[in-house]
Amino acid sequence: MAAQTVTLERQKRGFWVQTYLPEIFKGMGVTLKHFFGAIAKPSENIVTVSYPEEQRPYPARYRGRHRLMVREDGQVRCVACMCCSTICPANCIHIEAAEHDDPSVEKYPETFVIDQLRCIVCGLCVEACPCDAIRMDTGVHCSPFIAEDTDDFNALEGELRARERAFYARDLLMEAGDHSRAVQGGRRSF
Amino acid sequence: MPKCKINGKSITVERGTTIIQAAAELGFDIPHFCYHPGLSVPANCRMCLVEVKGARKLLPACYTQVSDKMEVQTDSERVVQSRRAVLEFILVNHPVDCPICDQAGECKLQDYYMDYDTQESRLRTPKVSKVKVYPIGPEVVYDGERCILCTRCVRFCDEITGTNELTVVERGDRSEIRTFPGRELDNNYSMCTVDLCPVGALTSRDFRFKCRVWLLKSTDSICAGCSRGCSIHMEQHRSEVQRYRPRYNPEINDYWMCDAGRLSYKELHRDRMLKPLINGAAYTWPQVAEKGAALLRESIDALGEEGADKVGFVFSPQSSCEGLYMARRFAEEALGCTRHYVGGRPHGDQDDFLIQRDKNPNRNGLLLQFPRGQRPQPFEQLLADMESGQIKILYMMGSEVPVEGAQAERFRELLRELDLFVLQAPRGDGLDELARVILPASTHAEQRGTYINCDGVAQQTREAFKPLGSSLPDWQIAMKLAARLGAPLTTTFIAKLQEEMWEAMKANAQPAPEAPEAETTEADDDAPEEAAAP
Repeated sequence: MAAQTVTLERQKRGFWVQTYLPEIFKGMGVTLKHFFGAIAKPSENIVTVSYPEEQRPYPARYRGRHRLMVREDGQVRCVACMCCSTICPANCIHIEAAEHDDPSVEKYPETFVIDQLRCIVCGLCVEACPCDAIRMDTGVHCSPFIAEDTDDFNALEGELRARERAFYARDLLMEAGDHSRAVQGGRRSF
Repeated sequence: MPKCKINGKSITVERGTTIIQAAAELGFDIPHFCYHPGLSVPANCRMCLVEVKGARKLLPACYTQVSDKMEVQTDSERVVQSRRAVLEFILVNHPVDCPICDQAGECKLQDYYMDYDTQESRLRTPKVSKVKVYPIGPEVVYDGERCILCTRCVRFCDEITGTNELTVVERGDRSEIRTFPGRELDNNYSMCTVDLCPVGALTSRDFRFKCRVWLLKSTDSICAGCSRGCSIHMEQHRSEVQRYRPRYNPEINDYWMCDAGRLSYKELHRDRMLKPLINGAAYTWPQVAEKGAALLRESIDALGEEGADKVGFVFSPQSSCEGLYMARRFAEEALGCTRHYVGGRPHGDQDDFLIQRDKNPNRNGLLLQFPRGQRPQPFEQLLADMESGQIKILYMMGSEVPVEGAQAERFRELLRELDLFVLQAPRGDGLDELARVILPASTHAEQRGTYINCDGVAQQTREAFKPLGSSLPDWQIAMKLAARLGAPLTTTFIAKLQEEMWEAMKANAQPAPEAPEAETTEADDDAPEEAAAP
């Protein structure tokens, strides 16, 4: 089939459209409205937040940094069942289980590491946990990872150190235990 | 022969066949806990109750024999209702600690609960608490609360090992499995009870908490712990074998395997050599083949006219038939070497069930690579030949030596005096310090291979994971070196290699026409068809 040619008529533009002036004044009008509005009532009209000194409040069910819940005696609640690391689509949870001295606990995570750079913040680990041991309700996200010592020679080393800082180990995750801002996964224990 | 109808399908079976067996033949899986085809039938779990036309009560399918004109329903409403009741009864005191239970994922109670029960507990009284983490034996841990008292473990110790360590103590809901006073579950097959246990009451101390079972990838393989070569499921996670589990093979090991063999998976990862080395420097395979072949050629030429006669080649009964076939061709065609010896692990304990004295999985396969009368000589002969200076160059497959103590020490000393020592093995075992050329071979977990056990049954292993590091299967190493030595062994595909290998082995299995030898036990009449089966 031969290709067909369709001729479109050029849109007619009047004199004022061709000068662009009305649209320029309209645009300037919007800009000036916001400019004087911000000067008149800064608190209402300025929406910019100077992050990270200022932070916007997150919604109640915001999925932030993980925390590991603790038992009443301060031990980790996690029993290392590996449900979270199994479900994790980013493969970012690494758990090594060990025998606990207390036979009623039996199994506990000797190491529990979340690679926060790999984490895609999907929240499936929270859903999968049968013991409500992991939550993402801290209301904070992980700090950005900036390589330190970035002179040319040490750039790689600095990056590697920054990479390591993204591995959140068990104790760090447990420290966030009292940072709950939202109710998630049932009863709130703090 | 009785003819019966199960779920409307008729089948004629041998007299004495039970309903559960007949149903399995028709493809109906009747749920059961206490029944195990390798053990006697106590019919105590009541899970396999089925409806038989004419019988007032439901009958246990594991115990009831099929009679003529019997009509059985395995999935009627009444049967499903009874299964639900049985499960509720078993779960009355079950702790349901699946998150920390090693059996979770392969637990029959879990599976049947999901299939038939799926109701919340109606129990409002506290559960009976029993012993947890009880060390019932050196390799096995018992959890009384999870136990459903199917008595499979007790029957195993009574009927299979005959050691009678276990029994049921107490009555009613306080019943527990215990050893007799002063005994512990320490027979050579104690970890089979862990496989037998349908729930997580008996767990292996070795596998405990190591890996969740749903993460494991299973490959059909063999145990290389002794010349029995038990069929196993080799289960690995991220290229690391986590455990062996026996695989049903009526010709070799039935449902069982020994504890030593079960723990022999640790050998696969111990002390592995992962890079080809010459004089301690790492090379890639093309480089090492080039340089290694040149080194071999130079050393042989340096010994003058009779150089090839001073080369010794040690074959390892740890290696597969494929590796040994190619190694023999490499030794004879590329090196021109005629002095062949057998290495391998020293002999160990044996018993009258599965454990064999010979701790090498493929001695019969090794012997079949050679025509009768030209079979390789024992390791002691190698020591003698090295002592008398008849061997100046040694090419050794496998780092295991069948001698111990002072003799092994002497062997190491003699290795130092050689012109050239080439080691082609998965592990160093201390010999790697003495070798000038190190060729890392892969273990039987990382390659396809054929092994012929003590009874002449051939089995094929499959590749459970890719060869670790830069290691390669033995047959590929032989090919690489042979090509550089100007005697290419042109087989590229393992299937082609296996065809050639079987031809050669069949020819070698024929008794020599002039002097028929006494050792006809390793004739592998059934071997080719056995190997073709998956």
